[in-house]
Amino acid sequence: MDPALFDPLTEGERADALRVLTEDRRLATMAKVARYRVVAVEPLVLKPPHALFGRRVARVVTYDYASDRCVDALVDLDAGVVANLQIHESQPMLGRDEEAQAVAVALADERVKRELGLSDEPLAALHYWSRRDLEISSSRRSAVVLFGQPGARATLVAVVDLVDSQVTEVVPAEQW
Amino acid sequence: MSNCIEHADWKIHWRVTEAAGLIIYLASYKNRRVMWEGSLPYVTVDHQREVLSIDEESGGDVHGPFWAPLGVRNLVGAIRRSDFRGGFELAADFCVGQGGPFRYTQLWRFHKDGRMAPWLVIHGPGLHDSHTYHPHWRFDFDIDGASDDALEHFEGGRWTRVAEEGWLPYTGESAENSTVWRQIDFGTGAEVAIRPHHWEDAELFAIRYNDAEWPPYSPRSTTVGQTFPAGYTGDDSIDGEDVCLWYVAHVHHDSAFPFTAGPWIKCGF
Repeated sequence: MDPALFDPLTEGERADALRVLTEDRRLATMAKVARYRVVAVEPLVLKPPHALFGRRVARVVTYDYASDRCVDALVDLDAGVVANLQIHESQPMLGRDEEAQAVAVALADERVKRELGLSDEPLAALHYWSRRDLEISSSRRSAVVLFGQPGARATLVAVVDLVDSQVTEVVPAEQW
Repeated sequence: MSNCIEHADWKIHWRVTEAAGLIIYLASYKNRRVMWEGSLPYVTVDHQREVLSIDEESGGDVHGPFWAPLGVRNLVGAIRRSDFRGGFELAADFCVGQGGPFRYTQLWRFHKDGRMAPWLVIHGPGLHDSHTYHPHWRFDFDIDGASDDALEHFEGGRWTRVAEEGWLPYTGESAENSTVWRQIDFGTGAEVAIRPHHWEDAELFAIRYNDAEWPPYSPRSTTVGQTFPAGYTGDDSIDGEDVCLWYVAHVHHDSAFPFTAGPWIKCGF
């Protein structure tokens, strides 16, 4: 077993994996519409007797907003092919772009602006889903953005619907 | 610092992931394989309303959980290695957001006597005092090889073989050495025993290793289904198979933070 197979991907390997994925015919629509976000690109080492055992493999996870689906693929970097492709309804973590998008949407919202204190700023954006079926965030990709002063407790929570880029709920942090 | 450490009869490799914290892979003790990979795929946080009304139907849990990955994007500073009397440890600090309210220190400790401690120090303070942390560890133990393993759960005053995938909560009952679960290799009799933290309402999910069930990038399997790892749990036989274990802790916020969550794991050979 070669431990180097677990090593982080190089920049080139990451780029290679994404390129192979987006050139795969099965994902032509996703690539063409280009409303997907890259969530993670990491090495995955398969155990024997899997056919990919001993090969350099990248696991690429994207979220396609056009179809509301998660794309979870294994790219065989030695062969330059997509070796495994799963498309399903799971909600992966937010990519960095999505975190930034959530913060931008929340900052532009009038209700949020009214509630923020002078020194409040965005502290964090986190993946969120509601357990109440009637709420938008129970079924659509969503985030919460926490506002407050760095190092202190948050004062405000904004729920952001990432599909339509809108704030759906603004709650004082102590009432969350 | 090298990502391969040989010390105190252990040989381990480590890497920082995008979402699963500091993972340990290809870990051996006394030249025998113990673990293919161990990771911390996520820590979710639930909040409860601080003041409940009498007719509250939701039990105060009006919102769902939220979480952010513990990985390179939230890593603060470098990975630290320290040697201590009888072993060594790796530590990583994570802070969700800029000066955010969720701060963690992930620890992996390795003792010369065969103990391993995958821990998470939760620093708080969170949004308010009524919230619960749920760290999820995933352990892919390969004791003397991947296959031919069995799992036992201590219940009813004795060790009981677990035949199928399932949910195995800690009920307060444990063997004399405080262990509650143990994974055993049939061929050699070697084992790893797991002892939960007494105050974290721990539970274990036992899942047969399947190629399509790699560590998920979210607890949320679908919009209507169960979250992972429960979403992976079916009725597959695990006796004599390659078994993957998820250890889930439930840490309720109170004034006693920081809180160190996570199990003790002891190699028995």
